[in-house]
Amino acid sequence: MPIVARDASLLILRGADVLEFVDGLSTNLVKDLKVGEHVQTVFTDRNAKIIDLCTCLQRDSFVALIGHNRNRERLLNHLNTRILTSDVTISDATESNDFFLDISGIKKEFDSEITSVKISESEVLLVASKGTGPEIDMSKKEWDEWRIENLRPDVGHEITESFHPFSCGLSALVHTNKGCYIGQEILARMRSRGTFGRELKRLKNGDCKPAFVTTEGDTHCMAIVRPSNPESH
Amino acid sequence: MDCGTCETAPAVVITKPEPVTVSLTITEKATSMLADAFDGDDSHALLVGVSSGGCSGYMYDLQIVENTDQDVQELNVDGFRVLVPNATSHLLNGIEIDFVEKMMGGGFKINNPNADSTCGCGESFS
Repeated sequence: MPIVARDASLLILRGADVLEFVDGLSTNLVKDLKVGEHVQTVFTDRNAKIIDLCTCLQRDSFVALIGHNRNRERLLNHLNTRILTSDVTISDATESNDFFLDISGIKKEFDSEITSVKISESEVLLVASKGTGPEIDMSKKEWDEWRIENLRPDVGHEITESFHPFSCGLSALVHTNKGCYIGQEILARMRSRGTFGRELKRLKNGDCKPAFVTTEGDTHCMAIVRPSNPESH
Repeated sequence: MDCGTCETAPAVVITKPEPVTVSLTITEKATSMLADAFDGDDSHALLVGVSSGGCSGYMYDLQIVENTDQDVQELNVDGFRVLVPNATSHLLNGIEIDFVEKMMGGGFKINNPNADSTCGCGESFS
């Protein structure tokens, strides 16, 4: 049962305008979420560079925004300055929870203290009240090797403020016709012109310049490179 | 998941900018269009607001209203009652409300000295 710990964040958003608010600030369609549903979405700045990748989960009385701890302050600042007259309040529940990823791809029953969210075919995100989480049985090194094998980008490696969602493998989270959000003009232009710049690739070690390598494994690496020529800038 | 309803999660302090006393202008063309819209009814006012969203982060929100439950400052500009929410006053001080004709029809346009950039359609700014 491969379970890896995650340094995640949990923001709880309440208010009548939450879904519209998140929808207007991120790349995926959020505003139609029903109770129990979730979607992954990317908060971008006006240059379409990534602020954070979040799992947005609609619960009965709130929306849980599960992001990444390293981006928490930046995301909070981004949200904070844009609430204006919207009916949105935020609380930060990061410190009272632990976060994990189960990458076994097998559906399991978890303790009632654990919320599980299937975010891809093989990944289930687990949010557990502090100290109630499952055993971790996957090291950071094993996680990185798994990611390279599956071309799975991660925050701090591929998903950073230096890249836009297309270049780090998050194209599927950029909705094509949801309407305006911050960074949308740039992403829409890239998509309509078919020019995405660099993209995420799995390469053999040594097949591209070290500067473009984002995660290095024993034999292969992930790199963000020009599709035609990994050696080029 | 501990969602914080049991008060383990601190509420994030929302940073609210200090309200500023807004001054704004309305161009001759916009004045004429507003006069048509109000049709002499001075019980209504022009609410000039900003909401989050759009390609650049903030979107203008113009409405003709009788009242609003928002905390607003009321201005009299060229004979029109104009309401500006205090929560967004820092983004609206010094604006000029214009009316421009376009191929797809006319519309109000805000010229905003506080905007660093404006999106292509002109409806949002940052």
